[in-house]
Amino acid sequence: MNAPVYELTGVEHRYGGRIALSCERLVVRPGRIVGIKGPNGAGKSTLLAVMAFLAAPTRGSVRFMGEETAGSTDVRLRRQAVLMPQDPALLRRKVRENVLYGLKVRGVSGGRAAEEALELVGLDPALYLDRWWWELSGGEARRVALAARLALDPKVLLLDEPTASLDPESAGLVLAALRSARDGGLTVVAVSHDSEWLESASDDMYRLDPREGINPVRLENVQCAP
Amino acid sequence: MGYLLEGLSRAVDLLVSGDAETFSAVVATLEATALSLAAALAVGLPAGFCLGYFTFPGKRVARMLSDAFMGFPTVVIGLLVYALLSRRGPLGELGLLFTIPGMAAGLTLLALPMVVSLTASAVEQMDGRIRLTLLTLGADGRQLLLGVLWEARYGVLAGAVATFGRVVSEVGIAMMVGGNIKWHTRTITTAIALETGKGEFAQGIALGMVLLGIALAVNAVLAVLRHRSGG
Repeated sequence: MNAPVYELTGVEHRYGGRIALSCERLVVRPGRIVGIKGPNGAGKSTLLAVMAFLAAPTRGSVRFMGEETAGSTDVRLRRQAVLMPQDPALLRRKVRENVLYGLKVRGVSGGRAAEEALELVGLDPALYLDRWWWELSGGEARRVALAARLALDPKVLLLDEPTASLDPESAGLVLAALRSARDGGLTVVAVSHDSEWLESASDDMYRLDPREGINPVRLENVQCAP
Repeated sequence: MGYLLEGLSRAVDLLVSGDAETFSAVVATLEATALSLAAALAVGLPAGFCLGYFTFPGKRVARMLSDAFMGFPTVVIGLLVYALLSRRGPLGELGLLFTIPGMAAGLTLLALPMVVSLTASAVEQMDGRIRLTLLTLGADGRQLLLGVLWEARYGVLAGAVATFGRVVSEVGIAMMVGGNIKWHTRTITTAIALETGKGEFAQGIALGMVLLGIALAVNAVLAVLRHRSGG
């Protein structure tokens, strides 16, 4: 079996004195779509923030690609594990610049990356590349945000509620895009309230379950992948 | 009513014929405004960005002072700068009193709090999710700061344009520090005040038309910026 992309052990994250996340153990294998479900306040978004190296856990071990990251928020790690937040905002620029921004900050030439990423999320580049951010509907903006992350060809894509505000057809397009990227070697971790979509999308499925209010929440593997 | 129409007609003649005295005032105005705006932007943009972006002890007091100085009476600024630049003043040796750079120094004191406060507001009012977008797309520390400034660009530019409008139409500082010297430091506003006092409406109206033209152009730029920033 391939070496894990992530190994989280005894990870806890607190906001002030409140425990927002407590994860005993989570292992994410490469080239999988991993779904994590759970009720509000279970710590799903906090878990993704920790995995995206945007928040350093209060305690515990986060091993990424075999390296102990020790709560690092280093940009080198952030560029390999890319998060799409629950309510992603586009930059106040045209669609082309939005999709290519991440490549630009990495010093990488865009080439046809913008066109290919837009096609992957079901948007016609000829129609959308030169549109301003404010000319897009909510669903289109979300798909452009996803294209901007797929264009980066990261090791891991972390998605927080990827189908929020999407109609069923668009949610299906997102799923197709993720499967295509997964088949190309991308590892995806998605958290969602949309159980039906998450179950259809995921190769592995986990549930983040808060126990008794603000007490530590636990991550349980409820469906082990073969 | 007749004398107003006659004044208007003569004003058009002055502008069309390129009257040297009229255009001398326009050039002096634009020189002083450009100098003061450049100085205020050079200092005020970074200061305003830091005030809007970072959290630090004393931030609220700094913001309150910056906002308060926006409403500082211009004659008081004129008096202060006059006192500093006059022969007996601490900066008298520089010989800046009754010069364009001297006027620009006074106008900079007027412009600086506006640039600082309006830049800080533009950064503060920016959608907080933008910062997360920049971070998640891989911006490092420097790229993040530049990215936030770029994303707030329309608000920052709108602040600069509003400051330009305030400075170009200022009269108190220009009169006191510039001295309203013909062919030298006479600006549009001081010339209008002088010519109107003499009952010479034509040149006053001609200069007023130029000032109105500048104000309209400034507002047109603002409208475009608003459109770009919000759709």
